[in-house]
Amino acid sequence: MTGLLEFREKIKQLYSKAEFLLMPFMKFLLAFVTLLTLNRKLGYMTKLDNMAIVLIVALMCSFLPNSCIILFAALFSLLHVYALSMEAALVGLCMYLLMFLLFFRFTPKDSLVVVMTPLLCVMKIPFVIPIAVGLICGPASIVSVACGICVYYLLDTVIGSAPTINAMGEEETTAKLRLVIDAILDNKSMIVMIAAFGITVLVVYLIRRMSVDHSWTIAMVAGVITNIVILLIGDLLYDTNISVVSVLIGSLLALAVGKVIEFFRFCVDYSRTEKVQFEDDEYYYYVKAVPKMTVSVPTKTVKKINSQTRSSQQTRNASGRSVVTERTGVRASNASRVPGNHGNYRGGRSVTISGHGAGNGQGVDADDFEELL
Amino acid sequence: MLNEERIILMTQLAAYEVNEGKRNVKIDHYFRSDYIAVQVLKSIVSSSIAFALVFALYVFYDFENFMQDLYKMDLIAFARDVLIRYGVSVVAYGVVTYIVCTYRYSRVKRSLKCYYHNLKKLNSLYRE
Repeated sequence: MTGLLEFREKIKQLYSKAEFLLMPFMKFLLAFVTLLTLNRKLGYMTKLDNMAIVLIVALMCSFLPNSCIILFAALFSLLHVYALSMEAALVGLCMYLLMFLLFFRFTPKDSLVVVMTPLLCVMKIPFVIPIAVGLICGPASIVSVACGICVYYLLDTVIGSAPTINAMGEEETTAKLRLVIDAILDNKSMIVMIAAFGITVLVVYLIRRMSVDHSWTIAMVAGVITNIVILLIGDLLYDTNISVVSVLIGSLLALAVGKVIEFFRFCVDYSRTEKVQFEDDEYYYYVKAVPKMTVSVPTKTVKKINSQTRSSQQTRNASGRSVVTERTGVRASNASRVPGNHGNYRGGRSVTISGHGAGNGQGVDADDFEELL
Repeated sequence: MLNEERIILMTQLAAYEVNEGKRNVKIDHYFRSDYIAVQVLKSIVSSSIAFALVFALYVFYDFENFMQDLYKMDLIAFARDVLIRYGVSVVAYGVVTYIVCTYRYSRVKRSLKCYYHNLKKLNSLYRE
């Protein structure tokens, strides 16, 4: 565990040092993957399916606000759908506008959730989303998750209807419009997914905020079970053809991702929980304090023992050696400190003995041996 | 001489001002009633546009039949029906906006109260 905590601290340090580089890079990566996925899945507009364009737009997204990724992704998808059918693009535009006008006003910070939800749906791992959102965000993010699912099913519907749309003539405008709208409105899978994910986010959020030990783990497990149960009920009621195996595998993956999130956001030591009770003029306080599991950052202390720091007779031996000791200590905050026991010191001590003369290594004086031992 | 407590407090305040505080201070410039009124007004505009979009899709969905029935149908009853639906959707969305904005405003006030308290604390640390 100490090794993992040390690793977490290193990542945090790295992030704080290189945040100005990492953030644009992550945004670039997200935009790049999103646009590439859109091109690969839709790809009706051949001019847009160009790596140079994708790279330029992704680079632009790297220094623009997060919401610009949504904007460009929406633009790309609409242009692709427009190349297939103007009517389908019109329906898509109306859906995007409705989302923008009615929902994004309340959750402007959740742009990442809106982008990630359809992306993970395409990658066949959508069950990570409700668990992660429930752990990191609040119940208001249900709206963003629902919007993401709507976008995924809109594009999925267009892809599914593409052969039929292509077979229709130019003059069958209303028929195309009706086909797309009916396909979206009659999509029971979408409704089941929105219900399952929404309720799961709520369950995870409510349980993780409870004052019980291991609330985050309980929240994850409860969320996964809720999700599976609702999806299965939906499958029974509406025959949504959900693969039970993929749901189970996806749920296990969601648990794994949830544990990673927990490790980075809520790593506490329940064994050292303290419960205190006190009062003032107005209230009685029942306080439960759970300490975080932290580890001090590995530091290197270099101690040099050479002729400059001591009198020449004491320090410099006959061969003129200098002794350098390096101590790399890591101590976990929850370590028990037993006298004489080095406990969680990691890395130990490395010693370099460098000779300046023609010595044979036998000239280290008594003080130096103390440092070595 | 560097005062560690003062530096920590200043860093926290600066981080708040850059991130969450920027939006919160904007909201705090309004009185509660003004803020909610502006947001509800925006909601009315948004929901009106959204309703127009949905209505347009409804008309285009079955455009040929709609145009055929246009001369046969009772236009006043149809208009009344559309207006009632419009009114219900706008009012419902307005109510949701009112609840969300009331909650948001009170949360911002609480957050800024804590911020101003910390500012006072910082001020007192400078006077020591």
